[in-house]
Amino acid sequence: MAMKTTDHIIKLENVTVGYLATPPGIKSLIRTRYIVLKNINLRVSRSERVTIVGGSGSGKTTLLRVILGLLKPFTGRVFIHEYDIYRLPWRERVKILRKIGYVPQDPFKSLNPMLRVRDILREPLEARGIRKYEESKIRSLVKLVGLPENVLEMYPEELSGGMRQRALIARALVSEPEVLILDEPTSALDVSVQAQIINLINEIYEKFKPAILLVTHDLSIAQYIADRIVVIENKEIVEEGPVDVVLNNPQSHFMKMAISSYKGSIDRLE
Amino acid sequence: MIQRLSTTLNRSFKKTRFKIGLAISLLVIFLAIFAPYIVPRPQEGLGYVPYDAEAKKLLPPSTEYLFGTDLLGRDLFSRVIMGARTALLQVSIVVIVSLLLGLLLGVMAAYFKGLIEVLLNYFTEIFMAMPTIVIALVLRLTLGHGIHVTALSLILTWWAWYARISYVYARGVVELDYVILAKLAGLHSFKIIYRHVILNIIQPLIVQAITDLGSVLLEAAAINFLGLGVQPGYPEWGVILYEGVFYGGGVEVFTRAPWLIVFPGLFLLLTTLGFSLLGDCLREEIDPQLRRRWHLWF
Amino acid sequence: MVLAIVMENLKVGYIIEDEVFWAVKGVDLVVEEGTTLCIIGESGCGKSTLASAITGILPPYALTDGKLKLYDRIVISGQLRNYSDVRGKITAYIPQNPGTSLNPFLTVEDHFYYVLKSNFKSSRDFSKKIAIEILSKVNLNSSVLEKYPHELSGGMQQRVVIALALATNAQILVADEPTSFIDAYLRLQIIELLGRLQRELKKTLIVITHDLLTTSIICDYIAIMYAGKVVEIGPREKVLRNPRHPYTKMLLETTPILGAKKQLKPIPGEPPSLSKEYQACLFLDRCPYKNRECHSDPQVQVIENSHYSKCWKAREAPWL
Repeated sequence: MAMKTTDHIIKLENVTVGYLATPPGIKSLIRTRYIVLKNINLRVSRSERVTIVGGSGSGKTTLLRVILGLLKPFTGRVFIHEYDIYRLPWRERVKILRKIGYVPQDPFKSLNPMLRVRDILREPLEARGIRKYEESKIRSLVKLVGLPENVLEMYPEELSGGMRQRALIARALVSEPEVLILDEPTSALDVSVQAQIINLINEIYEKFKPAILLVTHDLSIAQYIADRIVVIENKEIVEEGPVDVVLNNPQSHFMKMAISSYKGSIDRLE
Repeated sequence: MIQRLSTTLNRSFKKTRFKIGLAISLLVIFLAIFAPYIVPRPQEGLGYVPYDAEAKKLLPPSTEYLFGTDLLGRDLFSRVIMGARTALLQVSIVVIVSLLLGLLLGVMAAYFKGLIEVLLNYFTEIFMAMPTIVIALVLRLTLGHGIHVTALSLILTWWAWYARISYVYARGVVELDYVILAKLAGLHSFKIIYRHVILNIIQPLIVQAITDLGSVLLEAAAINFLGLGVQPGYPEWGVILYEGVFYGGGVEVFTRAPWLIVFPGLFLLLTTLGFSLLGDCLREEIDPQLRRRWHLWF
Repeated sequence: MVLAIVMENLKVGYIIEDEVFWAVKGVDLVVEEGTTLCIIGESGCGKSTLASAITGILPPYALTDGKLKLYDRIVISGQLRNYSDVRGKITAYIPQNPGTSLNPFLTVEDHFYYVLKSNFKSSRDFSKKIAIEILSKVNLNSSVLEKYPHELSGGMQQRVVIALALATNAQILVADEPTSFIDAYLRLQIIELLGRLQRELKKTLIVITHDLLTTSIICDYIAIMYAGKVVEIGPREKVLRNPRHPYTKMLLETTPILGAKKQLKPIPGEPPSLSKEYQACLFLDRCPYKNRECHSDPQVQVIENSHYSKCWKAREAPWL
C-alpha cells in the first residue's frame, strides 16, 4: 500500500467519544451514552510537538485510546496518515499503528514481570515477523536511552522507576516510529529523575525528529517539550496555540487557574 | 508481585509445615509409582481373590497381613498401598484437565469479551450449582462402573471453578499496559494471551490447584464410597470403605473389623493433609497480604 | 521558646522477612511550637516514616531507636514506643490520599461525629455544630455534611480531611504529601489554606512533601531528607537562596519552573536502596563535589543560627 505523503500524521475530525453504560434505576432498561469528549478536532503534523493538558478526569487518556485505535468514537473520524483507522480491517490498522510509539503512564504496570527486558524490547519486531534478532539495534537503543547494557538480561522488578520508563521509551523507539505518544511520562517519578526523562525526550527529538504527542497535567513539563499546547476542559478543547502564546496569554479558565497557581508559588518564593 | 519460582520454594523450605507436607506427598507419590513392586500380594491388591479365601476372611492385622484382610480374604495392606496409585491418578488427571480447560476458557473470555464472556459466566454458574454427586449418578447410569465415571464427574464440576478463577485473574491483567502495547505492536492474539496473560496468572493458579488436590481426593473417594464410581474390589480407598461399611454389616464393622475402616481412612486423611499443607505454605508465599507475618510481632 | 517536637538520633526501621530496613537512619531535629516545617525529599527517603513516627501510626513490625519527644511526652525511647494520649490528642494526621482515607460508607457528618466522640465524647448535635464551624474555616459550607466521600471532588475531600484533623484540636498537625493527589493547578489553594490555618490557630504544622516549589511557600523552616537522614535544615529563605548541601542545590536546579525556561540539570543516578548500610556520605555516588573525606559520614555543620547541613563542604559551599 503506497503511503500518501501528508503533513498531518494524526488528524481527528469532530470526534465524540465515550462509553455505554447502564444508568441506575428505571433507566437501566436502555443503555445510555456517557460522553467523555465531544467535538474534538486535532491535528498533529510531522515533527511537531503537541502537548495536551487538562485536569485529571478530563479525558486526556481517553483521547489517547481513541488515537491508538483502542476505542471507537461515537461520531467523527480518526485519521493516521490520511487513513481512517476505524474503517480499516484489523490487519491494515495494525500496520498503520506500528508507526506510533506509545509510552504508557505507569512504568510499574507497563512491563510484563515475567519477561526479560530483551524480550520486551524485541516484541514489536517479533510482531512484524522479523525473526532475525537484531542485537546491535537493540543495544544501541538501550545506550541511547541511557540504560546500561546488562539491563537486557534483567527482569522488570530489578529496575527502578526511572529505568523502567527509559525501557518503555526504548521499546517505543524500536519500530522507528514517526510519532511518539507519551502519557504523563513523569508523574510516577521522583523529581530528580523527572529531569532526566525530560532531557531524554528532547534528545530523542533532536535526533530523530518524530512528532510528539504528550499528555500531562503538569504545565512546567509542557513548556519543556512542546511547540503547541492543546487545553481540554469540560469535555472539549477550549484553547489551542503555540506554547509561549498560551502560557503568556491564557484564555481558558483552566489555563488561567493553572498559571496563576504556578506564578503564585514562584512570586512568593522570589 | 511475581516472584521467581526459586525464591518461593526457598522460602517455603524454611517452614516445618512445608517439609511435613512435602514429605507426605512425596511418600504418596513414591507408593503410587512403586506399589506393585513393594506390595506382598499385588494380585490381591488389584482385587483378585486368593485361592484359600474362606480361611482368610476378615483376619485382623498381624505380621503376615499388616493391615489384616478384607471380607473376601484379600490382603488389605496390598489393596491400600495400591490405592495410592489410584488416588494419585484420579487426582492428577482431574486437576490437570480441569485446570487446562478452565484456564483456556476463562482467559479467552476475559480477553475477547463479548459473547464468549457471557457464555462462560452463564455456563460456569450452571455447572457450579450442580452437585457433583448428581452428575456422578447420571454418569454412572449412562456409562456404567469405572474410574472414568469418577474422573469425569469431577472434571465436569471443577472446570467451572478454574474457569472462574482464571477469568477473574485474567481480567485483572488484560487491562494492563503491557497487553495494550502488545496489541498495538500487532502481536497475534494467542501469543499475547500466552505470553502476557497466562504466564502472569499461572503461578497463583498452580498454587490453587495444589491446594485443591486434597479436596478433589476426598470428593473422588466420596463418589467411590457411594458406589457411583469404581466397583468393589478395585484398589481405591473410598471403595474399600464402602465395602467395609456396606458389606461388612453396617455399623458393626467398627467393632467387628475396624481395620477395614481405619487404614483406608488414615491414608485418605494423611494424603489430604500432605497436599493441603503444601498448598497452604505455597499460597502464603505468593499472597503478599498474608506475608505481613503475624508471627513476627514478638 | 517551647519545643513541640524533639528528635535525638531517631531511627526507624521495618522488619520485612527477617531483615531490617532502616527507613530513618538517625535524625536530629527540633521544631518550635507554632511554626511550620516542610520536610522535603524524594520517594524512599524516609519522610513518610518520620511522619508516622510523629503521629504514632508506626506499624507493629517497625523497630525504633533514639528518642522522640512531643512537648514533654517521650513517645519513643530506644525500642519502646508509648503513644497513649498522644494520637488524636497531641498529634493529628492529614493523610495523603483523601479518597482512600475517608470511609465510603459514612457521610462527612458521620466522620465528624466519630472523631469527636472518641476524643471528647460529644453528642451528634454538638459534633454537628463543631463540624459546621470547622468546615467554614476550610471554605466548605455545611451542605457538605450530608455527602458521601465519593460525591466530593478531590480538593473537597482533602479539605474535609484537614477539617477532621482540626476537629481533634491537636496541637501538632502532620500533613503527609497533601498535594500529591491534587491536580497541579489546585495545589496552591490547598497549601495556602494549610498556611492560613496554621497561622490563625497557632498550630505546629509539619508538611511532608516532594513538591519543593508549592509547599515551601508556607514554611518557616525547610528540612531536606535524603536516604533516611536530614541533610540540611534551616529557615526557608536561607535554604532556598543559600543552600548548603549539594543535594539541595541540585534539587533546586532540577525542579522545572513555569515561565523560567532554564536548562534542567538532572541529578545523575538514583537514590540508594534502603537495605545497604553505608559508612560514607549517602549522597556520595551522585555528588559532583566529593573528595576523600566524604568516605566518612559527615558531621553536622552549623552554618548559622538554626541552619545546619550534613556535608563536609557546607561552609565553603563551592556550588554557590
